[in-house]
Amino acid sequence: MSAQETKPASKEYFDYRGFGGKMIFTVALALVTLALAVVGRFVAPEQFAFSWLFAFSFYLTIVMGALFWIIVHHAVDADWSVVVRRQLENIANLAPLLALLFVPIVFVAPTLFPWMSVAPGEDPLLDAKAAYLNAPFFWARTIFYFGFFSFAAWLLRRNSVRQDKDGDARYTWSSRKWVFPMLLVFALSLTFSAVDWLMGLDYHWFSTMWGVYIFAGSAQSALCVLVIILTALRSAGYLEGVVTLEHYHIIGKLMLAFVVFWAYIGFSQYMLYWYANIPEETAYFLRRNTGGWNTLNIIMVVGNFFIPFVILLFQGVKKRPFWLSVVAVWLLLMHLLDMYIVVLPSFHMAGPVPSWLDLVSLLAIGATLTAIFMKRLGDTPLWPLRDPRLAKSIHLKN
Amino acid sequence: MAIITPHRQLGREGTDMENIAGNPNAPLYGIAAEVSSASALYHAAEQVRDAGYRRWDVYSPFPIHGMDQAMGLRKSWLSALVFLGGVAGLATAVILQFYPSSIEYPLIVAGKPTNFFTVPAFFPVMFELTVLISAFTATFGMIILNGLPRWHYPIFSWDRFKKVTNDGFFLAIEAKDPLFNQESTRVLLEKIGARHITLIHDDD
Repeated sequence: MSAQETKPASKEYFDYRGFGGKMIFTVALALVTLALAVVGRFVAPEQFAFSWLFAFSFYLTIVMGALFWIIVHHAVDADWSVVVRRQLENIANLAPLLALLFVPIVFVAPTLFPWMSVAPGEDPLLDAKAAYLNAPFFWARTIFYFGFFSFAAWLLRRNSVRQDKDGDARYTWSSRKWVFPMLLVFALSLTFSAVDWLMGLDYHWFSTMWGVYIFAGSAQSALCVLVIILTALRSAGYLEGVVTLEHYHIIGKLMLAFVVFWAYIGFSQYMLYWYANIPEETAYFLRRNTGGWNTLNIIMVVGNFFIPFVILLFQGVKKRPFWLSVVAVWLLLMHLLDMYIVVLPSFHMAGPVPSWLDLVSLLAIGATLTAIFMKRLGDTPLWPLRDPRLAKSIHLKN
Repeated sequence: MAIITPHRQLGREGTDMENIAGNPNAPLYGIAAEVSSASALYHAAEQVRDAGYRRWDVYSPFPIHGMDQAMGLRKSWLSALVFLGGVAGLATAVILQFYPSSIEYPLIVAGKPTNFFTVPAFFPVMFELTVLISAFTATFGMIILNGLPRWHYPIFSWDRFKKVTNDGFFLAIEAKDPLFNQESTRVLLEKIGARHITLIHDDD
C-alpha cells in the first residue's frame, strides 16, 4: 500500500550474455532476406512492390500504435503504464528505420499508385483530386510523416531516458506539454499516411473511415507486440516485481476494447457502402467480397473479432501472461491478414495468390527491425527507473 | 424518522461502558465499531477476515483500494450475469429479425439477399440490444446483489455512524454470522483497536 517500498529486486538493464546467437541469427536473417528482396525487385517487380508495401504497412501500423500509446500515456497523465512505457518507446523509436525501409517504395511508387502515371486531363476524377494527389505534395507529405513520427518518438524517449539519471519531474512536465500538439499532428499524420499509402492504391475509391480503420488496427497490434515483449522479458527473468499480472489485466482489457473498436469501425465503413450500394463506393468491397478474397475476408472478420472477443471477455485469460500472449500472436496474425487484404487485391484482383516475396518482405523488414530493437534494448534501463509515478505504477491494483 | 440516542449502561466490571443503538428490546442486528483511518480499517478487515467471519461489512467515506482482498471477497457474480444478459439481448435481436425477415415473410429489399448474408443490415440492432440488455443487467443486477432497494438499515440508528459520509471508518459484524458471539466478537474488535464498540439493534 505505501508508496515508499519502491525497490524492485529485478535487473534494470538487459544483459546480452548468452544472447549473441540470437542476435547473429536475426542479423543474418535480415541480410539474407534483404538480399532476396533485392533479387525479387528485378525478377518480379510488380509482385515485389505490393509485397513490400504489405509488409511495410504491417510494421508501420505497429510502430505508429506504440507512439500513440506513449502520447496518450503522457496526455492523460496515466499511472499504470509507466512500467511498460520504455518498451513502447523502444518500439516507436524504430520510426527512422522505417523511413529507411520505405526507400524501396520510392522506386516502385508508380507501380503501386496508378495515379502517378496518369497525365492531367486523362481522367476527370483524378483532375478533381489533383490538388492533393500530385507527386511533389505526395513526397513532401511522406517526408513530413516520417519526420514527425521520428521526432515525436525521439523526443519522448529522450525525456524519459534523461529522467532515469536524475529523476527530475520537469521531464515529465516537458513531455506532457509536447504531447498535446503531437496528439493532433499524430492523428492527422496517421490518417493521411493511411490515405496516401493504402487508400491511394485505388485513387477512385474513397472512405472517410479509412484513417480510423487503420488506427484501430495500429493501436491493437501495438498492444499485442507489447504483451509479447513483456512476456519474453519476464520469462527471461526481467521486470520481476515491476510488471505484474495487474498490468497484463489492463493491457488485456485494452486489447478487448480495441478488438471491439476495430470491428465497430470496420463494420461502420462496410455497412454504409453495402447498404447504399453505389458503384463508385462499393468497388473496394466488391473485389474483396468475391472469389478467393471473400474467404479470406470472412476468416478475418471471424478471427479478428468474434473469436478474440469471446476469449478476451474472460478475466482469467487477461491475467495469464501465457494465454494473453497466445491471443496477442493470434491478433497479430489477423492484423497481418488485414493488411494483406488491404494491399494485395489491388494487384491480384481475381483472388489471393501467395508469393514467396510476401514472406521475404515480411522477414526482411521484421528481422531488420527486430535486430535494431534488440541492439538498442540494452542501451537504457528496461523501465523508467525514476519516473515520479513509478511507485504507483508498480503497486497497481485494478 | 426517529433517531434513537445511544443508551449508556454500566458494563460488566462497572468500568467499561456498553453502547446500544436502536430499540434494545428488538432483536440484535450486530456489533459495530469505529476505527481511526482508512489504513486501520484495511488492517481491521484483514483480521476480521482471518477470524473467519462471513456476514460483516466495512463502511468508509470513499472506496479503499485492495479492500476486496482485505475482506476476502471473491469475484462478484455480476460479470457472469452481464454475460448472460448480453447473450439474451443478442438472441432477442437475432430471433426478432431473422424470423420475420428470412423465414416467415422474406422480402427482397434493394436486391439484398434474405438468407444469412443479410446479416450486415441486422448487426446494428444486434449490437444495440446486446449492449442494452447487458447494461440493464449490470445496473439492476448490481442493485439487487447489493441488497437494494431498502428503506432502512439498522446501523443508521447509531448516531455516530453519520460520520461515515464525512470522516468516519466503521465496521459491523452481523449477529447472523455463525461465529457471532456477543463476548468474543467484542473482544476481537477491541483487539483490533476499534473504538466506540456499539450493539446495534433492529428498530422494532
